[in-house]
Amino acid sequence: MHIPDGILPLGLTLGGWVAAGGLTAISLNRIAAQPDPRAALPRASMMTAAFFAASLIHIPIPPTSVHLMLSGLMGAMLGWYAVPAILIGLAFQAVMFGHGGLTTLGVNGVILGLPALAAFALTRGFGHVGHPIARMLASFATGAGAVLLAVGLFAAFLLAGLPAHLDAGAERTAIMALVIAHLPLALAEGMIVAAVLTFLRRTSPDMIIAR
Amino acid sequence: MSVMSVRVIVLSACAKHLIAGLVMLVLAGPATAHGAFLDVAEVDAIRIQARYDTGEVMGNAQVAVFPPDDPAQPWLVGQTDATGHFVFTPDDRTGRWAVQVREAGHGAIGYVEVGANGTTTITQGSAGLTWAQRLLMIACVVWGAIGTALYFRRPRPTKAA
Repeated sequence: MHIPDGILPLGLTLGGWVAAGGLTAISLNRIAAQPDPRAALPRASMMTAAFFAASLIHIPIPPTSVHLMLSGLMGAMLGWYAVPAILIGLAFQAVMFGHGGLTTLGVNGVILGLPALAAFALTRGFGHVGHPIARMLASFATGAGAVLLAVGLFAAFLLAGLPAHLDAGAERTAIMALVIAHLPLALAEGMIVAAVLTFLRRTSPDMIIAR
Repeated sequence: MSVMSVRVIVLSACAKHLIAGLVMLVLAGPATAHGAFLDVAEVDAIRIQARYDTGEVMGNAQVAVFPPDDPAQPWLVGQTDATGHFVFTPDDRTGRWAVQVREAGHGAIGYVEVGANGTTTITQGSAGLTWAQRLLMIACVVWGAIGTALYFRRPRPTKAA
């Protein structure tokens, strides 16, 4: 889910930067309003490292291969910290590995940042659910839903920015194939979030910001 | 009046036949040249191969070739073959030609510098990294993250002290 440089038109790229800037400003504002904003920084830092490395783990799903996104896990575990963490991770990925790009950092930040915030809201919304199986299902839905939302945003940005010289039909088919290839990833990430949150709730519930 | 009108009809029918005959003649004109020739010449072509960083080829991906003097308007569009290859021959414009390959939002740009005397220099869109290089870079970033985590975990002196 990384749109590289040179794919989107200028308007969308700039719009992505503005939207990502707005998301970051809101997130930093919410972080600053916390009693001790520094308390969650070690966790945010380690999750950024995990997010950064995860995109290099490719899972072959013929005819293509997909990579872990972890934006659901980031949102559930980091809350508002997820947005700056994702942007930093994306910047490193773009500079070091050419995954995504610096001009599309804003767009990619929105594609992964919004699902992370949605996962945060869902985790907080289902926090009061008492039954362990219901909680596990809610966590699964959080992880899977974040992937689906990210893929949906990715496809929407691409379709909105299709250049005139491109064979639109062929590109739409290719995008659709990519979306379908991400369905197994949604299941995998749903299971990852369910497993991690269930484990942390039992061992150290303080680790989950959106308890 | 009625005779006149009949004559007009006849005339117009004649004119129709005449026009149809002329059109037939004009259309038949080129067909009278039966000979066809092929001028065969060797040219220098540029061949690219598009691959993902996993090593997988980008087969049937869309290609756009941008000339040096108009980097916004593609001069040639096409598709890579099943093995990710695309071949094209730039015209006589010198300068930097850009080749963009994209498939479902993933893509890369490569550049071919065509000199005045026909020399070409090829610039890769992005350099391929070995796994050792990747691992070293991941380790550096992870170590930076651990450092940041430890920095913010350190006990802080209380203000009262």
